[in-house]
Amino acid sequence: MKNIDLTEKLVRKCMSLGADAAEVFLETNRSLSVNVLKSEIETIEEASSQGVGFRVFVDGKMGFSHCNDLSSRSLEDTISRAIAFARLSTPDENNVLTYDKGFTAVADLFDPGITAEPMEKKIKMAIDLENLAMRDPRITKSAGAGYGEGESGIFIGNSNGILKTYKSSGCSIGVSVVAEKGDQKNTGGEYCTRVFFNDLKPLEEIAAVASKKAVQLLDPVMIRTQKAVIIFDPDVARALLGGIIAGINGERVLQGASFLKDQMNKQFASELLTITDDGTRGKSRGSAPFDGEGVPTARNVLVENGVLKSFIYNEKAAKRAGVRSTGNASRRGFSSLPGIGTHNVYVSKGEHTRNEIIAATKKGLLLLEVTGYGIDPVSGNFSGGAGGLWVENGEIVHPVKGITIAGRAFDILNGIDMVGNDLDMTRTNAAPTFRVAEMQIGGK
Amino acid sequence: MKIEKISVRDIPRRRFLELSMKGGLLIAATPALLARLTSCQRGSGRSSLPDMDKEMLSKVIAKALEKGGDFADVYIENRISRQIVMEESKFKSGLYGISQGAGVRVISGNKTGYAYTDEITGEKMMRAAEVASYVAQNSAATAPVSISETTRPSFVTVLQPLGEIADEKRIEIIRRADQAALDYDPRIKMAMIDYYDEIRSRIIANSEGIYLKDELPLLFFIVQAMSDDGKARHMARERLSNHSGFEMFENVAPETIARNAAREAIAMLDAEDAPAGIMDVVMQNGWGGVLVHEAVGHPLEADNIAKGIGAFTGKMGQKVASECFTMVDDGTLPNFRGTINFDDEGTPAQRNVLIEKGVLKGFMTDILSAKQLDMARTGNGRRESFRYIPIPRMTNTYIEKGKDDPADILASTPKGIYVQSLSGGSVNPVTGVFNFTCRESYLIENGKKTKPVKGATLIGSCMDVISNIDAVGNDLAFGPGICGKGQSAEVTAGQPTVRIRGINVGGSRA
Repeated sequence: MKNIDLTEKLVRKCMSLGADAAEVFLETNRSLSVNVLKSEIETIEEASSQGVGFRVFVDGKMGFSHCNDLSSRSLEDTISRAIAFARLSTPDENNVLTYDKGFTAVADLFDPGITAEPMEKKIKMAIDLENLAMRDPRITKSAGAGYGEGESGIFIGNSNGILKTYKSSGCSIGVSVVAEKGDQKNTGGEYCTRVFFNDLKPLEEIAAVASKKAVQLLDPVMIRTQKAVIIFDPDVARALLGGIIAGINGERVLQGASFLKDQMNKQFASELLTITDDGTRGKSRGSAPFDGEGVPTARNVLVENGVLKSFIYNEKAAKRAGVRSTGNASRRGFSSLPGIGTHNVYVSKGEHTRNEIIAATKKGLLLLEVTGYGIDPVSGNFSGGAGGLWVENGEIVHPVKGITIAGRAFDILNGIDMVGNDLDMTRTNAAPTFRVAEMQIGGK
Repeated sequence: MKIEKISVRDIPRRRFLELSMKGGLLIAATPALLARLTSCQRGSGRSSLPDMDKEMLSKVIAKALEKGGDFADVYIENRISRQIVMEESKFKSGLYGISQGAGVRVISGNKTGYAYTDEITGEKMMRAAEVASYVAQNSAATAPVSISETTRPSFVTVLQPLGEIADEKRIEIIRRADQAALDYDPRIKMAMIDYYDEIRSRIIANSEGIYLKDELPLLFFIVQAMSDDGKARHMARERLSNHSGFEMFENVAPETIARNAAREAIAMLDAEDAPAGIMDVVMQNGWGGVLVHEAVGHPLEADNIAKGIGAFTGKMGQKVASECFTMVDDGTLPNFRGTINFDDEGTPAQRNVLIEKGVLKGFMTDILSAKQLDMARTGNGRRESFRYIPIPRMTNTYIEKGKDDPADILASTPKGIYVQSLSGGSVNPVTGVFNFTCRESYLIENGKKTKPVKGATLIGSCMDVISNIDAVGNDLAFGPGICGKGQSAEVTAGQPTVRIRGINVGGSRA
């Protein structure tokens, strides 16, 4: 039986076993990963897998079950478990499934050509990438290179007559190297992920970034504890974006568990900050024609010139808030319930070049590495470990490592005073270089 | 390499240890009884794997080594899980899951080939064996030893098998915790309770001739409490986890877990901005052990050592830490969350002293890295599920207790930060640079714990931190966590109260 027919049949099965409403989420996956070290294969892993999740409602109460054994006995038993679980649960009027039969047209989510490329070529690419990244004499060791690919098929059906499917693919290649100098050790890594095999960046380009990251923080100088300008590299913008995304999660807002809960339509950040989530962009790993519960995806402006414009919702949180789903139901595979998440989030670009931003900085840190959890979405506090390049009088003077940076999210976001024009839209979380007027640095 | 936001503290910890001690005595006294108790199949007919046809598994292993190779194994797994989540006093979800499959691995020199299937049939496993054998092309062949039943001691006792517990009982535990959190203080606005249990059944057979089968039950109970007084908000967390039956909740009441979370949520409402810069840190006993788990434990896993890039490469037998520092990984602590009986390659779990009085004594190995480094297998080859290859992982990792009175450690620290609980952290195992986020911490002023301060990040390098520990308390305790290293593993981390001189604290004021 075809998976789409099986999905439809399973919805009916849920109903005949006692559900008042039901949703079936079926997923098939194929994956390959190759890791190489010192020009030799280290691991090759290959698999095909599948699984199905059942969300059922009984008297307004919800139950969920999943299994990866698609024999009919196992499927029936799994559905019965969900229904039995539902009976024990609490009724919730917000337990709803979508009626939206729409399907957003998104171009190029699947590349049939990935499988066609021979295994030997993929192994050789990883070995070549490793060798290229080792070319810089300051790079002393390899921590390995790898190639990975995957294909998946998503099938969603529900008792409101929804039956949808799409296929997607992805491939990625990356490398990690070590630079040593005396007792110093630094690692640097870079990878590239694409929907289409032929869109992977040239290996030279990936290798050069990895080696640069490993060597650029050698010979750091410890700085004093002080307040200074912080210039965020696009690589570390996620440290702030992650907290904002968690803070606009519609369910957390309804629960009062967000630092942005009272900010709708208010100016909470610098007017230079505009953030958009776009699930419709072609050739992107973050895009899809519909979200994790079948609602068509959209392009949503979340923050416009510093004003909060939209929270993000799945069906349940939207019903509770009295709004429409924003198409942001996210799913971590067939074994999870729909949560809330973004597709492709990006910060709109500004007018300055990166060099202009550095040149305009009297004293500050060009932040290249951040560790820690970023902004705490509940309290809105930010604290992290940091490394980068110290800037004085508009020029980079030396690397800095082993320092901390911290502040309150509102102060940081209002403090954005320059935004770069170097936005790379091929990332699923993208931002240009931007500058924050002042943050606390912890040093000696 | 990350540890998820986790914490366990205070009262449950002490009970946790008492309980464990009892378990330890039991094992010594009645091994035969225990073997029966550990079986959780009663009343749950399909919860475990049936015995596999050994002849068929031998064929799969032979197929895997057909093209060459040094070693092959088959790992068959069945996991039945239940998760119930309550938020805002309502059941948000009840999840029931069955996940099963088989993986076949071939090791040839430094190369590993792996393939898995969701369908546990001879045909699919033969196909997986063929795919996995790709890496062994043109290498010397090893003849597999025919497999036979093998036994290992068990360190997990079960009195109330999870398969016999009605879902109503699980729900009652959750309701009790929710009520206790909300009753603690009117400023507790919401509790989020996550109940999880699973029974993982494994069969391991390999070309060295072993055939092993067992079941590990696991319980994980997390209470988060959110406080809001109109000015500040804090999400607190408390966890309890054991490899055990449902009796875990008789030994530690769900109300106790909930009140601890609520206590932290209220205490931190008054938190002030933390100071920034390098200062002394006193870490309270318990889950703070996650600091050594990350900062020292991960760099002592043998995979990066075998690659020649790990921070401790070439340092075996050398003094790497201060004299008062001894660190152990022990997969045999009775019923602990990190306890495994045998690892996912079939090697028995054991107590491994990693650093003894400051001297590096051992790495944690799996079969491959032990061979590469010509070291003994330590029972640390673990995997998240049949979808992953085994890699060196920690089990229950801790700083051995010292001689200092915890009160004296605090009193002799004039100024610094007292860390009562950490959310978690991560480390770069090559450079040894780590970071941790504090969830509950206080200023130390004149040797006393004073005002609460907001969650700050602590950073440093592993070599510095273990050299700068200058006081180790006599109050060893543990906390449960989830460790991530490309795949997740259940672990505990433990430590007595310790003082670390000179850690960089990421506060938001000078």
